[in-house]
Amino acid sequence: MSHLFDRENVDVAWCPGCGNFGILKLIKEVLEELQVEKNNTVIVSGIGQAAKTPYYVDTNMFGVLHGRALPAATGIKMANPQLNVVAEGGDGDMYGEGGNHFIHTVRRNVNIVHVVHNNMVYGLTKGQASPTSQKGFETKVQVNGVTNEPFNPLAVALSLRAGFVSRVSIANAEHAKEVLKAAFLHHGYALVDIFQPCVTFNKTNTYHWFRDNTYALEDSYDSSDFNAALGKAFEMMPMPLGVIYQNKNSGATLEENIRKSGEPLYRTSHDLGKIQELFESY
Amino acid sequence: MTVEELKQYDGRNNAKAYVAYKNVVYDVTQSPLWQQGEHQGAHNAGIDLTSELLGAPHGEEVFKKFPVVGTLEEASQKKEEHSSSELLKTHLRLLYKKYHPHPMTVHFPIALHLFAAGFDILFLAEKKDAYAIGVFYSFLVATVMGFVAMVPGMLSWWINYNLSTHYAFVVKLIVAAITLVLGVIGIGIYLENPNIVYDYSFLGVTYHAIVLLTGLNVIILGYYGGKISWGNLGEEKMQTVSFDTNETDVMMAEGKFHDVDYEAPIGFSTPTSSVKAELSAKHGVEETHHVSISILIGGAAGLGIDTLEKILSDAFKESGYYVFSTKEFMSRVRGGSNTTLLRVADFPLQAPCWEVDVAIALDALALEHMKHRYKKDTVIFGDESFNEKGSDMIAVEMKESAKKFGDARYANTYMAGLLFGVLKMDKTALMQSIEHHFKGEGANKDVAESGYETGTDIAIPSLPQLPRLDNDAIKKLHLMDGTTACGFGFLAGGCNMITAYPMSPSTGVLNFMASMSKEFDIALEQSEDEIASLMMTLGGWYGGARAMTSTSGGGFALMGEALSLSGMTETPAVIYLAQRPGPATGLPTRSEQGDLNLALYSGHGPFPRVVLAPGSLEECIDCGYLAFELADRYQIPVIVLSDQYLADSIFMIADVDFSAYEEHRYIAKSTKEYERYADAHSGISPRAVPGLGEGLICAVGDEHDERGQITEDYEMREQMVSKRARKAALLTQEALAPTCKGKGEIAVIGWGSSKGAIAEALERLDDKRLSHVHFAWVHPLSPEQLSVLDGYKYKIVVENNADAAFADQLKLHDIHVDDKILQSNGFSFFADQLTNMIEKSLKELS
Ligand SMILES: Cc1ncc(C[n+]2csc(CCOP(=O)(O)OP(=O)(O)O)c2C)c(N)n1
Ligand code: SF4
Ligand SMILES: [Mg+2]
Repeated sequence: MSHLFDRENVDVAWCPGCGNFGILKLIKEVLEELQVEKNNTVIVSGIGQAAKTPYYVDTNMFGVLHGRALPAATGIKMANPQLNVVAEGGDGDMYGEGGNHFIHTVRRNVNIVHVVHNNMVYGLTKGQASPTSQKGFETKVQVNGVTNEPFNPLAVALSLRAGFVSRVSIANAEHAKEVLKAAFLHHGYALVDIFQPCVTFNKTNTYHWFRDNTYALEDSYDSSDFNAALGKAFEMMPMPLGVIYQNKNSGATLEENIRKSGEPLYRTSHDLGKIQELFESY
Repeated sequence: MTVEELKQYDGRNNAKAYVAYKNVVYDVTQSPLWQQGEHQGAHNAGIDLTSELLGAPHGEEVFKKFPVVGTLEEASQKKEEHSSSELLKTHLRLLYKKYHPHPMTVHFPIALHLFAAGFDILFLAEKKDAYAIGVFYSFLVATVMGFVAMVPGMLSWWINYNLSTHYAFVVKLIVAAITLVLGVIGIGIYLENPNIVYDYSFLGVTYHAIVLLTGLNVIILGYYGGKISWGNLGEEKMQTVSFDTNETDVMMAEGKFHDVDYEAPIGFSTPTSSVKAELSAKHGVEETHHVSISILIGGAAGLGIDTLEKILSDAFKESGYYVFSTKEFMSRVRGGSNTTLLRVADFPLQAPCWEVDVAIALDALALEHMKHRYKKDTVIFGDESFNEKGSDMIAVEMKESAKKFGDARYANTYMAGLLFGVLKMDKTALMQSIEHHFKGEGANKDVAESGYETGTDIAIPSLPQLPRLDNDAIKKLHLMDGTTACGFGFLAGGCNMITAYPMSPSTGVLNFMASMSKEFDIALEQSEDEIASLMMTLGGWYGGARAMTSTSGGGFALMGEALSLSGMTETPAVIYLAQRPGPATGLPTRSEQGDLNLALYSGHGPFPRVVLAPGSLEECIDCGYLAFELADRYQIPVIVLSDQYLADSIFMIADVDFSAYEEHRYIAKSTKEYERYADAHSGISPRAVPGLGEGLICAVGDEHDERGQITEDYEMREQMVSKRARKAALLTQEALAPTCKGKGEIAVIGWGSSKGAIAEALERLDDKRLSHVHFAWVHPLSPEQLSVLDGYKYKIVVENNADAAFADQLKLHDIHVDDKILQSNGFSFFADQLTNMIEKSLKELS
């Protein structure tokens, strides 16, 4: 493994032992192994600990607002369908603040890889419950423990007919890498929900907890079976890891649907003569 | 569906292609793999494929993508049988996955071809019979096995790689085909005469060449096979399309877009010059009589007022008159009571008036709704059935006549004819307009004709007498609403992407851009909310588009944080903000200039922005164009403020020379060392886009260093704050100067859509003391330009709002405002009412 995608002179802002380190390594390895061209690749991220990842990866990046990575990524794909676009962030970022965008980005089938670091907590704001926090999880805010039903990203994505729905755990990095690769190679929207221990603010969902409560899907599991996938999405304790569902022909992507030509918009311009003609028809 | 019924859907001769699998009938018509109802030459549509699928290289998952159209009845009886065959199939599929037949079979021909080639070399060195025989038989078996391996290979290409045309597959296919053909030829030569191997005749040499060449071929095949399977190069490579940057260089050289010298002196060539001439009496006869007639048409939504407006304005224009029309309507799709005001004159019109000369009621409720706008001699037309006893309404047989022609909806066309008759107009233009709008459908022309006949018999001496103009110059003018003009401005500005969420009164621009999207290759998406609208727009600019969003106050309020992101990341944005009265949902379909402060201050933290507010069609086009040029050059958000009145009113505009709207692309090509926020003297760092050039573009909403890396270094923070502030200073120098008309010492100051009403009010007042100062560029104001205002003794600010937000801006620049004329009742200013208000203000001042 070379250091092709290492960004130089950066001050990494994560706690020692954080699961984000593993995910960062994973991303860089996958980009390198798939020989992704760095100047044709953009990672868009929101705000949060997870959302800091692209600052440490040597590609193009657009660091936007808390919750808003997905619409920005969508806009980039609309402007230039030829770019590889990744939207990355935390569970609060993507499922909480950006929940509405999550729903509609899946529906649009934007050809992006959607990477969500799921640590079941708000890291950056120091330990409040996130949409995926398990019931009973106590925080300074949720003093009686979480009572809300945890958000199920897999089931939501499936219900919207996402073409690629997966969940991995950074506690099982080799497995996670294969799935992430498959997500990059999928044509269309691809969700990768990554279990990531937050060693500082989540003392419940630790590396051990994730190891004990997950299992990798067997080789015989048929990821093209939608109904089986629905079942898997709701399977708890242990929770399945792997490509829960993939539809290799998930249909045209947003970019393909909205414009005939995939030409980057930075180099298209309008024919003023045509505008003139149309104006004169009034 | 029964098996018999299913047979009809065989996909041939334009029939649908259905196939059944496990009781379920799928529609495969749309699949490219089922053209003409045939699949891989192996299966036909119109039948139950359950058993056939056992032999297929793919499982049932392939059906998942097809729409289900029904169930197969007879199949249900064989349920038992199927479930066992189903088991078998699953089993087979697992086996297939486990022991991939292609690698299993392909190794034999590879090994044997290599073996044959190796032995042939030995034979050529030492001519032993045993070698020759060994060569032939291994070559024979290799070729046969080659055919065997090719079958699962092709299947794998199809199931696993989706018939990818990646070069690795193309090379493999071609080489494999060559190998097989050569194999057959080689075998033929040998069988014809085994002794040929000793002979250096043509055939003998060919034989050896074939054996050696096929050896080479299988090495190539193995190489690419490996790449595909373990592939760092094959399918497992991200499908990155390489950019033809050379092509881009050529485009840059041709001036298609520009690598800009950001340090170049500023100064936009203001395109206003491209508007050949503002509408003025020039387009009419030199001496106009200044006669105008105002017609108010009232009725419920759905009664065809809009149609009537279109028919009449076209007809009056084609008769050589100036026209203007505006509507006020309730926030409902049907019913209620709405009106459209149509003004016709022998001089250019740019504003509505409150009092009307003619009122046409399409229903009884309209009489009630319109009565506030009557003056003492207003002529009122209504149907006899409205039963307005004791009123001045002239009862006509509107409904009866419409019914006579077969449809109550003809009432509006009848009234159009009637009006033309009453005004003693030539009916030709009206008939043409009706023909044009209805494309000759129905009895519209006959209905209008009958209305016209009735109208000519009605004489109303009190009505203003329009001089017979028939001015050809006017016929050449263009009729459109502010929405359309803004749309043309955005097009001229090169807008190639729009993301928006519908909201009155901004939706018209979204509709306009949608209607142009095919013609101009515009990327368009309706967003899930306004936050997404602006975020997509910002993503679009980051990616290289010229993107915009359209919204109204409520939606714009949601965009606040994203607007701030535009400021911090220095990502351009164009926002068309069509105002309606707030707070909250306010009056959804009415007008106000109430969102100036929102436009000026929304978004946290200071950052430069531009706010433009067009007041005429010409300014709509200019501002639309300027918005894109400014946003791009200064990497800032630009807000174009319109409102319901401007958006929905129909004005006239002279020819515009669009070639003057030259599009500049302020996109730099990045080098390896590129830094997005490189500190530049102007404050404008060259903006590159991903994929164009070798550099990386890191744009961030956190405070950042020049690279675009997060920083909390206080010195860097100051440096960046100052960089952004320098852009703000430059913008002030770009400001379009306010237009000043008149030589009087009292300035009547307005901004945005009130332009026309103020202009007409001043014309009506015809008071030498008055001047009109109009701002289309409302922020940032240039102190230099504002100094013009010092020359006026009194300053009256006219605003269609309650908070006098623009007057406050003037005060911030130490400009004393003597009086404010404000209105926030949901209507834009009416020229006649405004005349009175200014008159009153003048009295107070003196
Ligand atoms: C509009 C807005 N609201 C709130 C915040 C504060 N905030 C920043 S990150 C965050 C949550 C972080 O949680 P998550 O997305 O799960 O990321 P993590 O830090 O756990 O990786 C919050 C609430 C913000 N930056 N912007
Ligand atoms: S707070 Fe949690 S998520 Fe953030 S860096 Fe520390 S361990 Fe990781
Ligand atoms: Mg989190």
